[in-house]
Amino acid sequence: MKELEKTKRLSIAAVISILVVLIGLLTFKRPKIVYNVNAATTIEKITNPDYLISLNNINNPDYILIDVRNKFEFDRGHLENAINIDASEILEDENLKIFNELKKDNKTVLLYGKNPNEAIPPYMLLYQLGFDNLKILTVENSYQQNKLVTKNIEIEKSVADINAFIQESIKKAEVQPKPQPKVVSTPKKIVPVKKKKKMPVEGGC
Amino acid sequence: MGPLIPNGIIPIEWDSIIAILIGIAFGFILESSGFSSSRKLAGVFYGYDFAVLKVFFTAGIVALIGIYYMDYLGFLDVAQLYVHPTYLWGAIIGGVIMGVGFVAGGFCPGTSLCAVAIGKIDAIIYVLGIMIGVFIFSEFYPLFDELYTGSFLGNITLVDSLGVSPYWLIFIFAIIAIIAFVVADFVGKKIKKVFY
Amino acid sequence: MINRNLVKVLSFRYPIIAAIFLILAGGLVLLPKYEKQKGIAPQELLNKSTSPERYISTDQLADIIINQDPSYIFVDVRDEESFNKYTLPNAVNIPLKQLFDEDLVMYLNQDQFDVVLFSNDNFYADQAWILCNRLKYKNLHVLKGGLNEWYNTIINPPFPNENMPAQDFELFSARKAASMYFGVAYPEQAKKEVKAPIKTAPKKIVPVKKKKKMPVEGGC
Repeated sequence: MKELEKTKRLSIAAVISILVVLIGLLTFKRPKIVYNVNAATTIEKITNPDYLISLNNINNPDYILIDVRNKFEFDRGHLENAINIDASEILEDENLKIFNELKKDNKTVLLYGKNPNEAIPPYMLLYQLGFDNLKILTVENSYQQNKLVTKNIEIEKSVADINAFIQESIKKAEVQPKPQPKVVSTPKKIVPVKKKKKMPVEGGC
Repeated sequence: MGPLIPNGIIPIEWDSIIAILIGIAFGFILESSGFSSSRKLAGVFYGYDFAVLKVFFTAGIVALIGIYYMDYLGFLDVAQLYVHPTYLWGAIIGGVIMGVGFVAGGFCPGTSLCAVAIGKIDAIIYVLGIMIGVFIFSEFYPLFDELYTGSFLGNITLVDSLGVSPYWLIFIFAIIAIIAFVVADFVGKKIKKVFY
Repeated sequence: MINRNLVKVLSFRYPIIAAIFLILAGGLVLLPKYEKQKGIAPQELLNKSTSPERYISTDQLADIIINQDPSYIFVDVRDEESFNKYTLPNAVNIPLKQLFDEDLVMYLNQDQFDVVLFSNDNFYADQAWILCNRLKYKNLHVLKGGLNEWYNTIINPPFPNENMPAQDFELFSARKAASMYFGVAYPEQAKKEVKAPIKTAPKKIVPVKKKKKMPVEGGC
């Protein structure tokens, strides 16, 4: 029992290690809101236009409208039966509770804002938290004489063929074929990302 | 939370101070486990004292299990930890050289400095030898360059190269460690005691 | 002097420690596994993505391109077809679907250049921005209004009304000059040479270094 002669040292070491573990456990806090969907799955979801819905198809009892604009805009005018949740408050407890309940009831949540772009942050956030019952309503809201006008719009629609416009303008100006400012796309030289940093290290003890 | 320094919980400027503190603790523990004695260290090769094997294998397993529990609970991100790069042949040849030095001198580089701290003359000579080795290596570096930087495998770990779940690997390692301790005890009892 | 019971218990200390090891290691194997989610805290991501800080206006962008600011990369997140049709000078095409492709992600995951994401509107670009920000990629911006806005303001600037303030006329002439730079010709400047944008040197991208890791001292 040679070790027992060093009981003091042993007990000090034991107390310290137990303390370290205790401090670790006490300071441990699991974040309340965590992601449930990784970035790659989210990409798959958003490149498939399933999550977009137009104004014509919202007449379904399972659809709940959520207005992500601020309260002022909401009070000025909103779609019928819409609930107002400001985009920046979407992660607050009570709002998350609403989403949780809607998910439990198998309702589909339609998010809309001033335009579809405004609905992206709340949509993306909630989707990554695991709410897969969301859709974005592709509408644009504007006011005409203080009355809300809601229009369907197409997402990411190109308004004009810019190249054609440039050609057209050149033709109109009757300029001789001159050095067409070409879009030079030079392949950029890239050093591939190394997964882990290589560092000369002196090992050994 | 992750590793404290890369995630900015401890500012990066502190890393040398922390290194010194950890170094002091490491040296203290080496010395108090008796590793500044070359006889005790060499004992693991002659079979009369397996303290080195027990201490370092235990330390390794404790760290391994602890890190993976911390990773599981979210204290630490294993993916962010530094993995030492592998230069296969350099490591093999360097390991053989170090092993020979270990048996012959009875120290490894860390414990030799520990022993210098308590004033052992053999350790001082050993450290001088290390210095000469370092000098030769750096002077003739172009000769060794190919070996030193060749057969680079990247920052791989056993988990990457075997493709098994790290948890099973840990479990297997724990079993191996326990078997190694039992065998070491058994061998230690057979070998004639050497008093030192 | 030494407690007898303690001695008795301690004589089993090695089997006890071995058992603890096995239980802990076995526990790791048996614990239910869950997928780890990487990314900054959702609350932080929401705050960032609802603030308009990330937007860069078309006028700013035109300025950057004309001045050939070497610190910018333009990333087109539309599909390849639209990219081939028209894109900004020197833009890189990273379709949203392939955002995290290994050889493309290095344009986004670096800290040397400012990256401007754009699409027809800023819908796709915003989505790409949010995802990249979740993964802590730095220096990302979004072109406000996308290429549509680019067309409406720079390529085809609306002629201001007579009763508009003088600033609007200045803005118009600046935009008109910019549009000429991008190849639009106007009847009255038929004689003038249109300067082709000078080829910018290919940018060399140095990927983000993983934050410094402590070189490990191997124990012996």
